[in-house]
Amino acid sequence: MPDSSEGVRIAVDRVLCTGHGVCAQTLPGAIVLDEWGYPVIRSEVVDPEAATLAVKLCPARALYRR
Amino acid sequence: MSGQALWFISRATGVVSIVLLTLVVCLGMVTAGRRRPHGESATVVMGLHRWLSLGMLVFLGTHIVTAIADGYVSIGWLSVLVPFTSGYETLLVGLGTLGVDLLVVLLVTSYLRHRIPEHRWRLIHWLSYAMWLVALGHGFFMGTSDQPVLRVVSIACAVVGGLMVSWRVIASHSDGERRREIDAQEWT
Amino acid sequence: MNGIVELLEAAGLTGRGGAAFSTAIKVKAAHENGAELIVNACDGEIGAAKDAWIVEHRLPELIEGASLVARGRRPKVRYAAHRGSRTAALLHSAGLHVLEAPHRYVSSEETSLIQLAHGGPAKPMTKRAPFVFGGRDSQGHRVRPTVVLNAETLLRVSQINRHGATWFRSFGTELEPGPRLVAISGHIARPGVHEVAAGMSIADILALAGGLPEDARHVGVGGLGGVLLTAQDARTTIWTGGGMKRHGGSLGPGIFTVWDPSECPVETAIQLLSYGAGESAGQCGPCMFGLPALAGDWAAYGRTPSTDRYQRLQLRLDLLQRRGACAHPDGVSRFARSALATLRPEFAAHANHSCQKGGLRHARLV
Repeated sequence: MPDSSEGVRIAVDRVLCTGHGVCAQTLPGAIVLDEWGYPVIRSEVVDPEAATLAVKLCPARALYRR
Repeated sequence: MSGQALWFISRATGVVSIVLLTLVVCLGMVTAGRRRPHGESATVVMGLHRWLSLGMLVFLGTHIVTAIADGYVSIGWLSVLVPFTSGYETLLVGLGTLGVDLLVVLLVTSYLRHRIPEHRWRLIHWLSYAMWLVALGHGFFMGTSDQPVLRVVSIACAVVGGLMVSWRVIASHSDGERRREIDAQEWT
Repeated sequence: MNGIVELLEAAGLTGRGGAAFSTAIKVKAAHENGAELIVNACDGEIGAAKDAWIVEHRLPELIEGASLVARGRRPKVRYAAHRGSRTAALLHSAGLHVLEAPHRYVSSEETSLIQLAHGGPAKPMTKRAPFVFGGRDSQGHRVRPTVVLNAETLLRVSQINRHGATWFRSFGTELEPGPRLVAISGHIARPGVHEVAAGMSIADILALAGGLPEDARHVGVGGLGGVLLTAQDARTTIWTGGGMKRHGGSLGPGIFTVWDPSECPVETAIQLLSYGAGESAGQCGPCMFGLPALAGDWAAYGRTPSTDRYQRLQLRLDLLQRRGACAHPDGVSRFARSALATLRPEFAAHANHSCQKGGLRHARLV
């Protein structure tokens, strides 16, 4: 289990994802959006607190911790 | 506090509650019906939807407690959760109770979303429309003719919500269209 | 009781459906979890034919292989084939439990078959963990422990059980042991299914079907999810993982297609990419929007090459890696990237309006 200084891995359930784009705002830099609003993961490892909030706020429940 | 003051507070907080509820439901519809791609406000809309629904509880709680405590009309504590058990305006208060029941289920399942199967969360969340209608009914019919503002607010909320629902049903966007187009093909 | 797992481990058998995952690991997990078995006999990739061949000519061995994987008092085995196919008919008449898949490109994918077997659509599922352990789909519905193995893989399981690991390793290379079936089709004298092994030259493999014709210009290896070689490269490439990696591909599911030299290969590629775009399951944005955009941009570049369009294409190709629930966008973009490099001379001909070939929608630019 990674400690908070190391970060946690996030992933997108691509079937659930409908391109709301909240993750790109809650995890700026780690996730950017393509021209149709779907996430491109630039960095899989993110700050744990940011990850918790981002996972909670995804309207489609598509973002999850690995 | 005098019974009359409590009664006034109850009606005031009731009005605020229905307005906030309508706002929360509309914010939910904005998220669900959104065109993609879109601007930067997705997170704000989602955050407001969640936190306003909790903030509304303050007003709703006050509305319920003051209505029961004022002693002017007989509504027992049982009626907070069990519908159609109030001596006063059994049906109309019962609608309010039903709304509270649905709200509790919605809030609990949303709080525990990641612990329950997604399909179950989604099915229950569709009930939010029923909850809103029930609350509107409660608000509209409980507003008496000597205080038209209560009815006017209910109607305004119904109109705004109704327009949002219409938009949700009618408005199409390329994302949803492509999904529906593919879904209609042979997959079984 | 676990003799077969040890045997498979020693033999080094890997999946013959294209993904090449260790079969020993899969079978061990299947046994430990009491997994249901789905035999993938769909020949889902374009140009595939070996699954049908196995069902036609090696059915008893296939069934035996399946019985070694699906164990328990009431083992559940289903044989997946496309509805209305000859394979399905043969399986039905053999009295086997057939899982009929619709004629969709992605419907023969591992998780598509699992979802279909559970009463859902034949669309891929997000794989948070292998479904051999049991799991849930995206909506939270339970999925029973299920393992999917390619028909040829199970054929080899039964052969390894019968003849041993040493026999198996006497074919192929150290890294990629064992006999392999390949389907050879297209502009060649005797198309059909043949048994070969990794380490053979592509020229020798194609010789079994009559040899690469002198006038052949391009050879596809691995179908729509594979790569395109020039005939020259095909003549000098050894069919191994390493040999194929140099061309951006892998061994793949054993498919060789010699392209018709009288057709414009740019147009053929455009057709294939359009097909790939139309076969999206419509679940993942990057695929259902990205693949049509890729097909469109590739066609625009192919017909009127320019640096601008080339760069736009590269960006599109990069955005199709690992952004879907399944590997369909990865496969199509792999093929597109490969064809982009292989067809440089043809693009140059298009650029100066000198492409002589007929094509389905080829228009001479004025």
